[in-house]
Amino acid sequence: MKCEKCGKNTATTHIKSIVNGVAKEINLCSLCAANEGYGNISNVGLAGMLASMFGESLQSVNENIGVKCSVCGATFSNVAKTGKVGCAECYNTFKNELLPYLKRVHGSTVHAGKVPNSAPLIVKPIQKTVDDLRTQLNRLISEEKYEQAAVIRDEIKRMEENSNG
Amino acid sequence: MGRWYKENSNNSIVVSSRIRLARNLSGMPFPSRMNDEQREKLKQTVKSAIEESNTPFAKLLKYIDMSSVPENEVMAMVERHVISPEFAKSVKNRAIILSDDESISIMIGEEDHIRIQVILQGLQLEKAYDIAERIDSLLYERLHFAFDSQLGFLTECPTNLGTGLRASVMLHLPVCEAQGEIQSLSETVGKIGFTVRGMYGEGSKSEASLYQVSNQITLGLSENNAIRNLEIITNQIIEKEMKLREELDTLKLEDLSYRALGTLKYARIMSSKEMMNLISKIKLGLDMGIIKEEINPIELLVESGPFMLMSKKGEMTAKERDIERATELRKKMT
Ligand SMILES: [Zn+2]
Ligand SMILES: [Zn+2]
Repeated sequence: MKCEKCGKNTATTHIKSIVNGVAKEINLCSLCAANEGYGNISNVGLAGMLASMFGESLQSVNENIGVKCSVCGATFSNVAKTGKVGCAECYNTFKNELLPYLKRVHGSTVHAGKVPNSAPLIVKPIQKTVDDLRTQLNRLISEEKYEQAAVIRDEIKRMEENSNG
Repeated sequence: MGRWYKENSNNSIVVSSRIRLARNLSGMPFPSRMNDEQREKLKQTVKSAIEESNTPFAKLLKYIDMSSVPENEVMAMVERHVISPEFAKSVKNRAIILSDDESISIMIGEEDHIRIQVILQGLQLEKAYDIAERIDSLLYERLHFAFDSQLGFLTECPTNLGTGLRASVMLHLPVCEAQGEIQSLSETVGKIGFTVRGMYGEGSKSEASLYQVSNQITLGLSENNAIRNLEIITNQIIEKEMKLREELDTLKLEDLSYRALGTLKYARIMSSKEMMNLISKIKLGLDMGIIKEEINPIELLVESGPFMLMSKKGEMTAKERDIERATELRKKMT
């Protein structure tokens, strides 16, 4: 079944609605469904979005450039077609291509959540409040991670000295 | 903690809360580009990370190779929401680390290398996140996760990038559904980065008026904010459902829920679809204080699933299952 809106893609979203007491079914492709405000981003997927933006030129554009991920060998057209990247390094390789889509999907291109311990928080200590650090300190002590705890303890000390002076 | 569907849900519209964190190891291609050897290595790496961590917490968790799990039990795990339907599609080279009460499950080799899931009864998103976060920390003590200082945790699908967090609640919305409100609900939450789906997630249609609401945005929003927003939305949906319930005709509602109860108690043949439909009406009757019997409708629903029945009683045809389902329900309810 073809999408009733664009008449091009296969309809995958079937929307039942009741208009003036009459049941109606509309069949849309995932992209048109999203544009109409139905469905959601993850159903549309990156694949649909990329395909719609690049259209038919996708294949040729990237084969011309010939860029492949040096780790997994994926090309950007692989990524666009499947909506999946091949490995972590792909995000570096195709960063310029991916950023506009990340912006469209998430409304942002900068992580704002948890940072793993191995990427130490002392990189940006200013953003942490003393209370945050105390909580972390207590956790590290309860987990017997004394080395990391010592770093946090010094950090708290430094921050308190700064605010007092 | 206990199994989410066994604990009495306190007559709540929120049936369960679920947190999922997607994580990948650096230095290994993502699952769809992995060969068998790499998949085997992945399983062993995660397994030893948990076993060697030696925390009391880790002792609650058990490693299960999915290829050793009988087919019907694999699908029964989907019905209990222990694993995703996607994970069940292929058990080859996949494994799970599971807590006794099944509230914690770590899927290895799904769309991402590691997916930590915590599922709890009722509205307990923060508690669920807290547990998931502890497992996450426990894992990255020993494993090196793919992480980018700008993009956050790297995932196979860029829609999960950043926090890798999917927070969801499962809601029982029979009156919203009956009055055609789900569509507009879906549109409204869609505009602010949330999604409404059927019971088993992506692409599944709703059964028993159970809907899953979850966040879509994982980049540029902290875990706490995503969870807080979901809580706010959930409370608004609850309010809406409650308001619509107040407007119902009491006698009609009594008739509806008691008819459902009678059928469930005395029927001899019961399809899965009919069962879900009836359970939804019974749950509404219970939540509205009309039916006063000691019934946990969600437990009945989950345990009457086709694969839950077959996992317990062996392979059956659809017809045999419908008879078995009716028999089991009768036994439990009278
Ligand atoms: Zn279309
Ligand atoms: Zn790659």
